[in-house]
Parts: sequence; C-alpha cells; structure tokens
Amino acid sequence: MNKEELLEYYQKMLYLRLFDDLSRNLKMKDIVWSGYHPYPGQEAVAAGAISQLRKEDCLLGNHRSHGHAVAKGSSVRVVLTEMMGRQTGVSGGLGGAMQFIHAENNVFCGSIVGSGIPIAAGMGLAFKQKGTDNIAMSIFGDGACNTGAFHEGLNLAAIWKLPVVYILENNQYAEAMPVDEFVACSPLSKRARAYDLEEITVDGNNVEAVHDAAKKAIEKARKGGGPSLIEALTYRTRGHYIGDPEHTYRTKEEVAEWKEKCPIKQCKEKLIGMGVSESVLDELRVSIKKELKEDEAWAIEQPFATFEQATSNVWIPLPDYK
Amino acid sequence: MSETQNITYGQALGQAYREEMLRDENVYLMGEDVGRWGSLYRASTGLLEEFGPERVKDAPLSEAAIAGCAVGSAAMGMRPIAEIMYIDFISIAMDQIVNHAAKWHQLSNGKVKVPLVIRTQGGAGRRNSSQHSQSLENWFVNIPGLIVVMPSSPYDIKGLLKSSIRNDNPVIFIEHKSLYFEKEEVPTEEYLIPLGKANVKREGEDVTIVATSWMVKFAMEAAGQLAQEGISCEVIDPRTIWPLDKETIVKSVNKTKRCIVVTEAPAEGGWSGEVASVVGEQCFKILEKPVKRNTGMRTGIPYGPVHELKAIPSAETIVRDVKEILK
Repeated sequence: MNKEELLEYYQKMLYLRLFDDLSRNLKMKDIVWSGYHPYPGQEAVAAGAISQLRKEDCLLGNHRSHGHAVAKGSSVRVVLTEMMGRQTGVSGGLGGAMQFIHAENNVFCGSIVGSGIPIAAGMGLAFKQKGTDNIAMSIFGDGACNTGAFHEGLNLAAIWKLPVVYILENNQYAEAMPVDEFVACSPLSKRARAYDLEEITVDGNNVEAVHDAAKKAIEKARKGGGPSLIEALTYRTRGHYIGDPEHTYRTKEEVAEWKEKCPIKQCKEKLIGMGVSESVLDELRVSIKKELKEDEAWAIEQPFATFEQATSNVWIPLPDYK
Repeated sequence: MSETQNITYGQALGQAYREEMLRDENVYLMGEDVGRWGSLYRASTGLLEEFGPERVKDAPLSEAAIAGCAVGSAAMGMRPIAEIMYIDFISIAMDQIVNHAAKWHQLSNGKVKVPLVIRTQGGAGRRNSSQHSQSLENWFVNIPGLIVVMPSSPYDIKGLLKSSIRNDNPVIFIEHKSLYFEKEEVPTEEYLIPLGKANVKREGEDVTIVATSWMVKFAMEAAGQLAQEGISCEVIDPRTIWPLDKETIVKSVNKTKRCIVVTEAPAEGGWSGEVASVVGEQCFKILEKPVKRNTGMRTGIPYGPVHELKAIPSAETIVRDVKEILK
C-alpha cells in the first residue's frame, strides 16, 4: 500500500478501536445491556477484509460483530443504538449486541457460533443463480471451526463453487479454551485442504496482509472462481466478555506481548517510517473521538424500542383468503 | 365439472413442484437425491431433466448445510424447497430452522423475508423403526415464526405445497411416508389451498374427531364404520397445524359437544394437548365429556409391521374411543 492507502486503513482501524472503547464504556454503565464481546486487537481483520465489500455483498457476522458491521459501512449510530435497544438501531433495538441484522447494508450477525457459514453459501448460491457478481463473506472465530456447520458449509461452498469468502479470525481462544487444545492441526487453515481449497494463513495484525489476501479472494469469488478460506492470526487483547476471569486461561505477560503487536501500533510505526508526522495521526485520533462523542450524545437521546415493537414482526400474517 | 386425474400423493407433489418452478424462476429444489432419484418417493422424478442441475440440486448428506443454504438463498430472493429426507434427520438442521429461519424476519425489524419450504416426511408404517419413523411436528409448533403444514391426501398436498411455496414465511411441510401411494381424483386445473384453514372432511353430529396426516385416513375409516351403527362423526383435518384454525374446530365442537384428537405423535407436551386446551377453554360449558386424545405411545417406534402399528392410533382404537365418549 502507498502512504495514502495505508493511512486510510489506519483510520479505519483506529475508528473501530475508539468505537469499541466507547461502546464498552456504555456496557460498563449498563447502557448497552447484553453480553458484550470486545474487539480490540483484531481491528486489522475487519478493516482489512470487510471494508472491501460492496453494499450489495452480504456479511455474515457473529456475536462479536459491532466492529464488523461498521467496517462493512453501517454507521456507528445505527450499530451503537442497536446495542442500546433503541428504535434507531439496525434491528430496531430488538437484537442487541450479539445478534442483529442491518438489512439495508446486508449485514447479518448472529450469536450461534458457526451458523453463518452455511448461510453464506446459500447467499452465494442466490447471487450465482441470479447472475450477479455479488459475494457473501462469512467471518467467524477459531471456535467455530469445530462446529458441524463449518465443515458442512465449507464443503457445500466448495462443491458448488459458490462466491463466498470465509474469514477465520483466529484470536487464539474460544472463550477460555486455547486453540491448540481444541484443534489437532496447526495452522487451522490446513482444514481448507479437505475442501480442496488453498491453505491461506496471514498475519491478522497486519492490515496490509489481510487486505491483500482478502482482495485476491474477493476477486476470485466475483469471477466465479469459488470460495476461499483465509485464516487471520490475531489476538483479542481484552476478555471474551467484559469481566471474564482472564487469569484462568492466560497470563498478563502473554497479553502484554500481543499488545506490542497491536495492529494499530504496527501500522502507525510504518506510517511514521513513511514520513507521516505524528501530529497528523494525533489529530486524526482527536477528530474521530470528537465525532464519536457526538454519535454517543445523539444515541443517548434516541427512544427505546417499545414492547409492542419488540414483539411485532414475529411472522408475516397469512393473506385473507376470503 | 372440471376435469380430474387419478394420481398419487407423490405424483400430486411432483405436479405442484413443476407448476411452481414454471411459474417462478426463483423456485429451486435442493436435498438428498432429489435429482437423480427424483427424491426417495419419486416426487421430483423428471424435474432434473426438465429444469437442469442448477434448479434441481442433489445435496450432500449435510442437513445443516441444506437448511442453512436455504435460509441464505431465501433471504436473497430465492424460493428454496429444501428436502430433509426423513424428519428424523431434521435434528441436524434445527439450529438453522429455529435460530435463523424463524428469527430473521423479527430480528430485521420486518425487513428480511425468509420464504423457504422445508419438505420432509415423518411417521410410521414402513417398518423403519425408531430413527426413521418419528412424528416430530410438535417441535416446530412451539417455535414462533414457523408455519407447520401436514397434508393428508393427494388433493391437499398439491394445493398446500403451492401455497407454501408462495408464502413469505418459513414453512415446515411434513408429509407422511405411508401416504405417497394413496390415490385420489385431483383437478387437472390449477388450484391452491389456503394455509391456516381446516378442512371438514366429513360432517357429522355426535362427535368431532380432529386428526392429522395419516391419522385422517384412520379417522375417516372409523367414521365410515360408525355410520353403519348410526353414529355420526364429524372429521376435521386442520391441514395447517400452525397457525391453527381454532374457529372451525370450536364451531364443530359447539355442535357435537364431544371431541377426540388423534395424532401419531405422543401426547405429552404436544399439539394434541394444545387442541384439547383450545376446546376446553372455548367449549367448556357445553362439553358433555372431557376431550379425549388418541395418540402415538410414548415409545420409540418398534421395528416391524406388527409392533409399529400397535404403537400408533388405528381405525379400531378410534372406533373404541368414539363409543367410549358417547357413553
């Protein structure tokens, strides 16, 4: 990437980090209600891969998808107010932080680990049948790799050559269990071989590496070349959820080591090496913070979903056959 | 009189498929051996040749992928008919049906539609023992967001499948394996049967029998036998078990003052209890006797032709129950 491009991706990552800081803080104040799964440390994956999608492309997320949705182009306001149960949220405040659908932007996030993998195949099938070059991207964690849906979905996408890009966000832990305890092979991308797909593992803390691999996979899918699986090695520097007993599964030293490899820090160092001044980057942070502060102030003012709204749309009533 | 044709339940199903595939290019079939075999009971015979492999898709033995693929493609504007070969296998697909198909319309604040049909077949009668003979419809009735259809005849399966394909909700369409070779006269002209409307199969005065799927046949046989003894039964087939046409059932019981519910599924925690409750709630004051249930036993379906039929209702036990309730 040249300086301008890299700066753009730096901004995307920083935006996700500061957005997470804001919404995490609202979780601590019980303004975001549900289980909240922090994203810091993994921003290069969302920024590098997801932000390349078009609006018409589908994104299948998971329980940790507030950053994914924003990287896809959903505004912070509609994602944040969703997590706050407000009418302006993407799902009208009916879904919360773990499951929401932003229909207008084709973002579908759910809290059942692995389930988006076959659904993405179905979306890819629809795009293929309709003759468009849209694609589906499914992003999931290392824990999802042991679900039946992972194997069934990947196999289906592979045998039918569906336009799907699978992003395996390997953050080293499925909740508290370390990846090397629950998967026999390493790297995890070895599993791609079983579906006759290329084995791709990239440094998930390097936004350029993620970007380049995703770009190639997206182009391949659009051209009818079938699915890809990209494993992005990264690390969640905060707990699985806020207040999880981190000491039971990892050491402070390990977390500190990974914080040194922070994707935003690395990118910043590279930008400075390319001649971007620190003051430009500082100003960027200040302006994002200011913008997010305004979003927060706006969000707090939004009305809650009413009980009637929350329990409507259960189904589409049958036509009146009389 | 319009023209009719004498066809089987399986043939009627195949005709519904074909008509809807010709009508709407977004309709496609997917499932285990729906193509080469034309599905297990030959319902889709000839469709692979006519419509090609993009619209008649043989799928791997991956029920979660079949259901998930149906959810994703339906959300993006297709109208998938996903076949789960035996309802017993649907356990593998439950996450997709319960957590996604049934939830997305509400979770998207009414913006996303998931117009898919899961076609499957259940029940006993083909000597397949406990993992290929279950009646699992009750699971789906308890999930908000789903429509559950149980066709009991060639005429019904055709009209109900066509309506299910055109409906924008996820529909669980449960056929019966012992009905595929049943024949009846079916109009050659196109027709639809509305979802959510019960069918009064036989009018009567003395007792209302509410029966589903294969049990409708036994209820009709029992009613025929009882008529010879001067007992008049009204037989109601709800066709769509959810949403339930309470009105038709209540109206009938208000007339007969007695009600028997017949299902192949075990009684406990099930839809037969739901019907009994509705009748109890709405007809309590006029009921001559408590609502009676004649259901499958709480057992795995035993192996073989003799034992399996003893574990489910029959015309004989329905006759017995009608006589008891009239005492």
